Amino acid sequence: MSFIDRRVLQHINWALLGLTLVLFGLGVLNLYSASGFRMESGVAVNTFFQKQLAWGLIGMGGMLVCIFLDYRHLTTLAWPLFGLTVALLVCVPLFGKTIYGARRWLDLGFFNFQPSEVAKISMLLLGAKLLSKGQRPLDWGMLFGVMFLGLIPAGLIILQPDLGSGLSVLMLLGGMIMYRGLQKRVLKPLFITLPLLLPLSWFFLHDYQKQRILTFLNPGSDPLGSGYHILQSQIAIGSGRMWGKGFLAGTQSQLRFLPEKHTDFAIAVFGEEWGFVGCIILLSLFCLFLYQIFLTAQEAKDRFGSFLAAGVFFYFFWLVLINMGMVLGLMPVVGIPLPFISYGGSAMVVNLCLIGVVMNVSMRRFVFKRS
Amino acid sequence: MPAQYEPEGQAPPTAGLFLLQALIWILFCTFTLRIWYLQIYRGAEFETKALDNQLRQEAMFAPRGLVRDRDGKLVAVNEPAYALGLVREDCKDISATLDKISEWTGIDRDELREKFHKYKRLVKPFEPMILVPDIPFEQLAVVEANALFWPGLEIVVRSKRYYKQHDLLAHVLGYVADANEVELTQNPSLALGDNVGKGGLELVLENRLRGTKGLRQVEVDATGRRLKQTILREPLAGEHINLSIDLGLQAQASRQLEGQAGAIVVMEPATGKVLAFVSQPSYDANMFVTGLSQKQWINLRDDPMHPLQNRVIQSMFPPGSIYKLVVGGALLEDGFDPKETVYCGGQIKLGRRVFRCWKKHGHGRVNYQKAQVESCDVYFYNAGDRLKVEKMSAFAKGCGFGAVTGIALPHEKSGLVPTPAWKRKRYGEPWVGGDNLNMAIGQGFNLVTPIQVARYISALVNGGSLYRPLLLADAQPELQGTLPLSDLNRTMIVEAMVETVESGTARRLKRKGVRMGGKTGTAQVVRLKLKEDDERRTTEEMSYEERDHAWLASFGEKDGKTYVAVCMVEHGGHGGTAAGPILKAIYDYLFSEERQ
Repeated sequence: MSFIDRRVLQHINWALLGLTLVLFGLGVLNLYSASGFRMESGVAVNTFFQKQLAWGLIGMGGMLVCIFLDYRHLTTLAWPLFGLTVALLVCVPLFGKTIYGARRWLDLGFFNFQPSEVAKISMLLLGAKLLSKGQRPLDWGMLFGVMFLGLIPAGLIILQPDLGSGLSVLMLLGGMIMYRGLQKRVLKPLFITLPLLLPLSWFFLHDYQKQRILTFLNPGSDPLGSGYHILQSQIAIGSGRMWGKGFLAGTQSQLRFLPEKHTDFAIAVFGEEWGFVGCIILLSLFCLFLYQIFLTAQEAKDRFGSFLAAGVFFYFFWLVLINMGMVLGLMPVVGIPLPFISYGGSAMVVNLCLIGVVMNVSMRRFVFKRS
Repeated sequence: MPAQYEPEGQAPPTAGLFLLQALIWILFCTFTLRIWYLQIYRGAEFETKALDNQLRQEAMFAPRGLVRDRDGKLVAVNEPAYALGLVREDCKDISATLDKISEWTGIDRDELREKFHKYKRLVKPFEPMILVPDIPFEQLAVVEANALFWPGLEIVVRSKRYYKQHDLLAHVLGYVADANEVELTQNPSLALGDNVGKGGLELVLENRLRGTKGLRQVEVDATGRRLKQTILREPLAGEHINLSIDLGLQAQASRQLEGQAGAIVVMEPATGKVLAFVSQPSYDANMFVTGLSQKQWINLRDDPMHPLQNRVIQSMFPPGSIYKLVVGGALLEDGFDPKETVYCGGQIKLGRRVFRCWKKHGHGRVNYQKAQVESCDVYFYNAGDRLKVEKMSAFAKGCGFGAVTGIALPHEKSGLVPTPAWKRKRYGEPWVGGDNLNMAIGQGFNLVTPIQVARYISALVNGGSLYRPLLLADAQPELQGTLPLSDLNRTMIVEAMVETVESGTARRLKRKGVRMGGKTGTAQVVRLKLKEDDERRTTEEMSYEERDHAWLASFGEKDGKTYVAVCMVEHGGHGGTAAGPILKAIYDYLFSEERQ
């Protein structure tokens, strides 16, 4: 590996790698429990955790690639990858596979592939490339330019419909824009108009999405319908109390009261079985994990690297915020998974690749610096 | 070594870095607070909810006590029945599910809906609400095959009462049926679809037969699937009950009245225990268990033969000449010399009214015994004139008439012992001398039930004790009173009854080796006056409704065993002719070789 400077390897961010592996390990462990359900006799286990493990290994392969290719080459990849993403997203409604009434998948023969996952990476690269240019906070022109680019893939994803993924693309970009900063004359009007525009979005929502928001505001109104998720996940977590019910001993999840327990609501299983102590440890792990990404953004050698790290930061931040907020009953139900904890193959691969990018930036932070 | 420099303008945005740090802190603090709120502050509450989710307490049916006859032959048993229940909490679309049930079972959907809404408040949301109490086997297969697609539907196995002899004991046992709204509200241990006694012994002995429900704790998953169950309290089966009824005798007696309307009581005079209790026509009690259709109910209710009426305790008829056993007792107790004779010329005059004896040309001179044996009306007209209503009424009441016997069955009628005050109140007319005469021969205003007659005859042959009629094998005799009759006079009446079988109107009962006694009665349906014109029409010549009711009260004694048998045939005609063969068949059974 001649193109790798040996000194670079010495600066691998062991803390970030360690945190990632711990979170991944906890996720697989929790999935083992979440995929079990009690039958008349004994416990039957679905194979989710095995699949998650396999996807994790694939993802680590992707992570290695992302670590060792110098991230500065990624600027040249940004535009082509973005074009490819948009092309794939256009293909989805034409050739895509429909599962659960939503057309999100392209059938590649051996597995179903979600172009929306690629969109997150290409948005990250393009956003970092564009926003790292220049020093001054954004003016109206730049803001609209970047937002326009972001809305193309996001809009296509939302139309699939996959509101969660579409919003996460937008929020990743939005996070990077905030990281860059806005000029005061842009910021002020936005502060005033955005809250006014938000209610208008109501008219663009599907009925089931409106229902979720209404139920969030009053979960008791429909305890067996859409309020069911909210109530049951709160019951699951709350009943964990201080120390939890113990591994594999969660009654809410094992007895299937908890829906979607291996995907979006996986952390409710965790909360039920590991209690307050476990939840705080998990939350702390996520915060330390984000802190490591923050450090990378702070210490990056160049602005492109810093923006890449910041983009990844926001990507994970939003996922953690929204998923935990939803499961803890602080937000409406949106289909957003918790990184490393929720089951999902392509998300796992993307997550690990993104960590790879951050580690890439992190370990090259001294390359051009005087020691 | 590449050049080491830090180009200008490559520093990350300071404000952006601050933002990232701030966001981490916000994330940590907000969720820590929320997690604390859910798991610590409200943890206990959610823990209870989790348990509620998972553990359900359910009642376990207690089998109803079995009923047997005196020899242990089963008469009322429990059979498994499949009921269709709906657990509201698990049901996604109640309206569609009700429609589906209607489609499967053919029950009208509005009827189902009405039932559902009526009982909603009485059934807990997680308990099955029994909508179809007894679902036929073919339908069960259909439901079972589809139940998977209709969450909340549950097939509940329950026990169902089955009366093995169908109509044979309907008037004794009564029947059970689904508890109604009132019963459910009054008794919280009852659940919708539970059977409760609605008539007969099933009603009276409800508390003994019902048993106590058990309680089990069931662990369920979110789809309502049962995973584990723990019995918290075993159900306690209801008490088994043995009737004093002899099933063979009951069947024999019932057959004798087939096609007719009437009642038969066979009693052990020494204890008051009833061996046969027949009211014909009867009905199949099983119809009620699973619920009658409106049409079935109307047919039963409007049947001109009144199958629902319990003739043994509810039919009140004039006793006819049977009553001479009562008036005779009153006469002897009044000090009238039984040897003194009365001349019967076929009629007697009171004022301007003529009262006829049934024997047109009279009995000539009759003493007490001959008068009772031949049922001489003129002799008893004289007795009535001598005793007047007051003495006769007082004596009749002392013999247990005009009051319920206290048999353990609901809705017993008390009959009627008339008094002048009663007549004035009822008809607005004073009591006249002729009323005394009519009363003395058991016509007029007197009304008795067959069970009252059986109890009186029992008292005559058991030494004068009025026992409460009993229907249970293990019941202890209950003395209710003593006849106001000296042993001497009582023996006189009993001996006259024996003579009646030997040579009088009850000759059909004569039996070798058995001491038999009897008294026939013919209760006129059409008032006496009307009859005077066409007095000698035969029974066959009269229309059914005008025909006389036939009475026969009797006892038989052999080897220290005594039985009393009373038969009443509605519109049967003459007592001896209509009821004689019936009671003969009963004694055939009672004194048959096998039974000894």
